[in-house]
Amino acid sequence: MRSVHKLSVALAAAATLVLAACSGSGGDASANGPVTLTWWHNRTTEPMKTIWQQIADDFHKTHQDVSFTIEPLQNEQFQTKMPLALQGNTPPDIFQQWGGGSLKSQLSSGKIADITQASSSWVGPLGQSAKGWQVDGKQYGVPYQMHAVGFWYRKDLFATAGVTSPPSTLDELNAAVAKLKAAKLVPIAVGGKDRWPDAFYFNYFAIRQCSVDALKKAVEKTELADPCFTKAGENLKTFLDTKPFQDGFVGTPAQQGAGSSAGMLANGQAAMELQGDWNPDVMQALSEDKQLDSKVGWFPFPSVPGGQGDPKAVLGGGDGFSCTSRAAKACADFLGYLVGEEVQKKLAATGSGLPVHPAAVASLKTETHKQIAEYTANAPHLQFYLDIAFPTNVGQALNDAIANFFAGQGGPDTIVQSVTKAAAGNK
Amino acid sequence: MSRRNGVGYLAAFAVIGITVVPLLFVILGGFRTTAQINRAPAGLPGPWVWDNYIEVLGSPYFWRLLGNSALIAVVATTLAVGFGSMAAFALSRYAFRGREAFYTLFTLGLLFPLGVATLPLYLWLRQLGLLENPLGVALPEAAFSLPITIVILRPFMNAIPIELEDAALLDGTAKLGFFWRILLPLSRPALATVSVLAFVSSWNFFLLPLLVFNDSTNFTLPLGVAMFQSEHSQDTAKILAFTALSMIPALTFFVLAERRMVGGLTGSVKG
Amino acid sequence: MSTATSARPLTAPSSHAPRAGGTPRRSRTRTRLELALLLAPGLVLFVGFVLVPIGVATFYSLYSWNGFGPLTDFVGLDNYVDAFSGDVFQGAIAHNLIIAALTIIVQLPLSISLALLLNRKLRGRTFLRMVVFAPYVLSEAVTAVIWLLMLQPGGFVDQVLRGAGLGWAVQQWLADPKIVLYSLFVVITWKYIGFGVILLLAGLQGIPAELREAAALDGASSWQATRHVVLPLLGPTIRVWIFLAVIGSLQLFDLVWIMTLGGPANASTTMATYLIDHGFKRYEFGFGSAVAVILFIICFTFALLYQRFALRRDTDGALTRAVN
Repeated sequence: MRSVHKLSVALAAAATLVLAACSGSGGDASANGPVTLTWWHNRTTEPMKTIWQQIADDFHKTHQDVSFTIEPLQNEQFQTKMPLALQGNTPPDIFQQWGGGSLKSQLSSGKIADITQASSSWVGPLGQSAKGWQVDGKQYGVPYQMHAVGFWYRKDLFATAGVTSPPSTLDELNAAVAKLKAAKLVPIAVGGKDRWPDAFYFNYFAIRQCSVDALKKAVEKTELADPCFTKAGENLKTFLDTKPFQDGFVGTPAQQGAGSSAGMLANGQAAMELQGDWNPDVMQALSEDKQLDSKVGWFPFPSVPGGQGDPKAVLGGGDGFSCTSRAAKACADFLGYLVGEEVQKKLAATGSGLPVHPAAVASLKTETHKQIAEYTANAPHLQFYLDIAFPTNVGQALNDAIANFFAGQGGPDTIVQSVTKAAAGNK
Repeated sequence: MSRRNGVGYLAAFAVIGITVVPLLFVILGGFRTTAQINRAPAGLPGPWVWDNYIEVLGSPYFWRLLGNSALIAVVATTLAVGFGSMAAFALSRYAFRGREAFYTLFTLGLLFPLGVATLPLYLWLRQLGLLENPLGVALPEAAFSLPITIVILRPFMNAIPIELEDAALLDGTAKLGFFWRILLPLSRPALATVSVLAFVSSWNFFLLPLLVFNDSTNFTLPLGVAMFQSEHSQDTAKILAFTALSMIPALTFFVLAERRMVGGLTGSVKG
Repeated sequence: MSTATSARPLTAPSSHAPRAGGTPRRSRTRTRLELALLLAPGLVLFVGFVLVPIGVATFYSLYSWNGFGPLTDFVGLDNYVDAFSGDVFQGAIAHNLIIAALTIIVQLPLSISLALLLNRKLRGRTFLRMVVFAPYVLSEAVTAVIWLLMLQPGGFVDQVLRGAGLGWAVQQWLADPKIVLYSLFVVITWKYIGFGVILLLAGLQGIPAELREAAALDGASSWQATRHVVLPLLGPTIRVWIFLAVIGSLQLFDLVWIMTLGGPANASTTMATYLIDHGFKRYEFGFGSAVAVILFIICFTFALLYQRFALRRDTDGALTRAVN
């Protein structure tokens, strides 16, 4: 889950250098009899912790032979323990799954269940959302909620600077930046220290510049060979040259403290931020402003002239679950229940992400979230964050190259080459 | 006191003054609201808010973590200093073949980034059935503290005059008796130092408890702070209060040990 | 000085170092038993929980391994070659060396002055010692959060500088690639100065007050007494501190990781952050282990040289002798 990018995540990821498993598992492995599913999720905080428990209880009521041992793990703890667990004999039966390249890596453990068959009856309504959890056309998990990236902006600061409507083209965005600057405001905040917020910009310039086919091919072949990616880098360069960001943005954290990019937006110190749908929660935690929800608005990344990309394509990702093979059938049934209309409505009401079931959109908490959900649902193409779509090592190398680019090092070609180099195993 | 000296001390006081500022930031931050901190990171509490501290102190969870941390730190420190001083004694006051090889072996532990070794270590702990067990954290922590304990203690023990040992042996004291009754008491300042170092490193150790404990009732304070951080998302003030309070036991240990550091050798040993 | 020698703290002049236990009254067997008794517990603990895991990690370094499947892809020393040929890693080595040099140049005199000050009979000495030591007790994560707040643009540090009329000195402390390493060094100094002070304080306890008094009687000023009597006697402690401080600088991780993630543009990458970032965060565990081994070898080389040239007098050349 993107919104809980915690600092210690990677430190904890370091801890995965072990061959063994650590799983408290329950139940017998028989396919048909009663089974107890061990469920690892990363929602240690309320309200989601209780909601998952309730959902498990509800499922048990209608499926008496399936019961649960739920182990909520802190995000960093989860990332540490999951690889260990997949090495051992008793991995959890259901576990948090972000899809993309890391799912691909996990497959080499041989423990993740192919649920293509088991999910065929209910995966339909998910549409293209489910694709991020497929590898070679097989379904290895499903998302229970999606995320989308776009511009969050302060309505009050836009008004101060005389920006009357949210920009819909790059030119309008540049004009808004100029107006905000003229009003002595910081036009855009970005959490450059964490690198992934920088990557959103390159991702979106690529999505606007490249055809859907070019994007798909890039992910498939793990390369940014199409010239549109270089062009995207050049567009990004032009945009960076307008100096739209706060001072010292390469050292600013994305979510930590009031000085973070989210904090700046929350406290009116910046007018825009390109961030995920989770941003209101992050901002609310960094501000005492109870009216914050009404002060911020959302608009999609503007269209870029001359690009072959669809101006309505959206960048995003999601939170999901995978099953391991021991109790794959029961697990898949449960996942089907999770993405069903009833549970999806419940999840949507929490406002922690976008529902994967279209019928649940109406249950979203705020109008802004409904707007995002609608935009995402109508998007002709949902592009997974490139760093997640690529194998983990390649994705990180790409983010590094983009962050260096933001810091003034390298050019569009360096970004393109970073992927090729990392894919070839070069450091 | 010469002027030069005076200037030196003035500078030292200035350094202490600067040192204290970030600490005050933590402690005073606990008396503010997060909004106050966000508005003016450098400001003073206004008004003073007691809720953060009261809430943390009133939570049984905090005390539970404190107990866990204290238990682990005490066990780890006792083992590290106990075994470390025994080994340092053997390595400093006995002559035997392979002595330096043993010493080198212990020193190697200092040279490897332990974060990496923590991870295969997890395998062992699982096989030994030490997961979810305070010993699963305390034993490795003691082991990690051994090298520095020995590196500091060995020269210290070496320095204690041989005449003392000869006199003791002539009096009929066994060599181990000399270790226990004379050498250890004389090594008090160094022992206090290594105890503090072992205690503090145990107190702040994060990665290993993270691996060993799944059950949050077994957590140590650093894990608690991390969890606290994610649960109270960005309630900086409460996190600062939690942090300030979790520093106290380690500081108390330091103050207690500090008394031992003073006047250990002075006066009692003259060459 | 001969009177002083025998009271040296933290020193082991080889001249009167340990004697063999082979006095007539004590049999060899007994000595062996004693040695076994003394060394065994520490050794078991150390081998079991430190050396074996290190050995296993070293084994991983010969494989290309993403942490999920079995260890099958043996690549020999490829991981090592890859690491050394990357310019980011070369930069990381340079950063570590800069930090190590700065540590000795800045922290050493500072630690000594603080220790001398705190060794005097001062009012509230315990409290002052506590203040100096407290940052060492603070966890790295919290330290980083505090300093991030203090160093953010327009934050506490900038405000203070402007208030003091030093507005021109204000920098983008953590965002300017040319400055970030030095900003981090200030935080590192703040965090770890207590370690040096506590070590030196213990060393100072071993210096009899009589010595200083004698020097004073001879007409030495306080500064002279410090310079010519106290500092030489502190020598062994200082040499141990330098050893530990350099090793610590070479393995620097937590603070940098939390404050800058090695950025911007790798300007503050250290070997250990590189290890975590390029090895483990990217699921390249074999590669990460190789970097760890390289880090170990660098530390080991330093330790050897240091033993040979500086520590020999104090510890009887443990490492050198073992290797020779």
